[in-house]
Amino acid sequence: MQRSLADILRGASPVASDVASTALADGIASGNERLTPAMQLDIYREQFFLRHLDVLREDFRSLAHLLGDETFEALAIAYLQAFPPRSFTLRDLGAELVRFVATAPRWADDALLADLARVEWAFVECFDAPSAPALALADLEGFPEEAWPSALVVLQPSVQCLTLRHAAHDYRIATRNGELALGRPEARPSQVLVFRGPTALQCLDLEQDAYALLDELARGTPLGDACERVAASSGATEDAFQEKVGAWFQQWTTLGLISRVELAR
Amino acid sequence: MGWFEVISENFMVAGGRPLDNLARLKDSYPVVPHGVSLAVGSVEPLDTDHLTRLRSLVDRLDPPWVSDHLCWGRAPGLHLHDLLPLPYTREAVDLVVERVKRVQGTLERPFALENVSSYMTYRASSMSEWEFVTEVVERADCGLLLDCNNVYVSGRNHGFDPERYIDAIPADRVVQMHLAGHTDKGTYVLDTHSEPVCDEVWSLYRRAIARCGAVATLVEWDDEIPAWEVLAAEADRARIMRADVLASSVA
Repeated sequence: MQRSLADILRGASPVASDVASTALADGIASGNERLTPAMQLDIYREQFFLRHLDVLREDFRSLAHLLGDETFEALAIAYLQAFPPRSFTLRDLGAELVRFVATAPRWADDALLADLARVEWAFVECFDAPSAPALALADLEGFPEEAWPSALVVLQPSVQCLTLRHAAHDYRIATRNGELALGRPEARPSQVLVFRGPTALQCLDLEQDAYALLDELARGTPLGDACERVAASSGATEDAFQEKVGAWFQQWTTLGLISRVELAR
Repeated sequence: MGWFEVISENFMVAGGRPLDNLARLKDSYPVVPHGVSLAVGSVEPLDTDHLTRLRSLVDRLDPPWVSDHLCWGRAPGLHLHDLLPLPYTREAVDLVVERVKRVQGTLERPFALENVSSYMTYRASSMSEWEFVTEVVERADCGLLLDCNNVYVSGRNHGFDPERYIDAIPADRVVQMHLAGHTDKGTYVLDTHSEPVCDEVWSLYRRAIARCGAVATLVEWDDEIPAWEVLAAEADRARIMRADVLASSVA
């Protein structure tokens, strides 16, 4: 009985609009003088949609802003049908939305939707990611010089590296700041870092080489190999590149992005 | 404030601000986790990941009790995130009792079930809601979180006398009470937690305190949240009313 009811309660249309659902409702619910069995179940069915729509609208506010209420509701209905909530926590509800808007026919043609969804979901993941102490430059004193090339630079668990085709992160900030008269964000390849700072979630635009190095480190590539790979594609001289790496590490340490540096085993 | 209740699921996370804020709150107040997703009445097996993470939260908070709802909400491959009523049958009692015992065994902490607001009734029901609730908590040997607003809402929706409900529940099982506001939708009343507690619910609360004694009480207001002063005034009103009822019963 619960399985049958669950199917009815996540339906997109009123129970009474479907003969089989109405018959099922009549067999399960008793109704009363004000509400038929189908109307009783519709209360739950409507709440199912409203509750999950609210969560998606909150977690993907910039996407909702871009699409407008009606289209975002259509997206939410389609998404809930394709990926019904399975987790006990509503926090996970939007976990598949990036994949959905990137692949589902009505939405996949517009790459901006996936960019916005990707940025918004990165913030959700970042919000409650595990906490770890931040590395201070002083912690590196005495780190053997010869160990640097094989060292593993471990980033904070909250750090998310995103490659975007639009300035979706700027659009997100603008919508969160209440800027309502926004134009569609420009198509502009961007490398963005989302992370949890000491007091707030933050988003940082990175130059291409800095992003590439951080992305390599996030994947667990030893520092020496990561620098070699990025330097090879950067076109900078060795000295210039090393100078840049020094400046980036200073910035990343100041921002608390690095959790620790591990000696290779 | 004497204590706070938090929605368990919001804090069953790996880290970040939710856990930082919770730690600060716990430093100053007792904090009781109140779940909305355990769905002990679902035919689906209990979610072991959920239980494991709830146990971690319980270890973190060291609360005097833990609560969730007497309802179902899960089906194969689906979590409805709703507090769906159960049919009031012996079969449903058996199912919930077995599940609650497993929950209590995992948490090793007193566990209480809350009566839910409901908007549907089952043809299969063979007893009243208060008989069902009583049989569940007695046989599961667990506490009852008595939500006076839910009693009122369900009474309005299904045409039963809420005072009869309050008079029938096992008073010695009540470990906590809830008060809240609701919204009249015309053909039914919806439990919205977005309004002040209405006079009828305050009256039920007086009656419940007279039966159950000095039970911890919490005002739920989690939608259209007003200024802190308004919230605090509702909590003060409950505190004063409880003291007044208890003083009257002593006299």
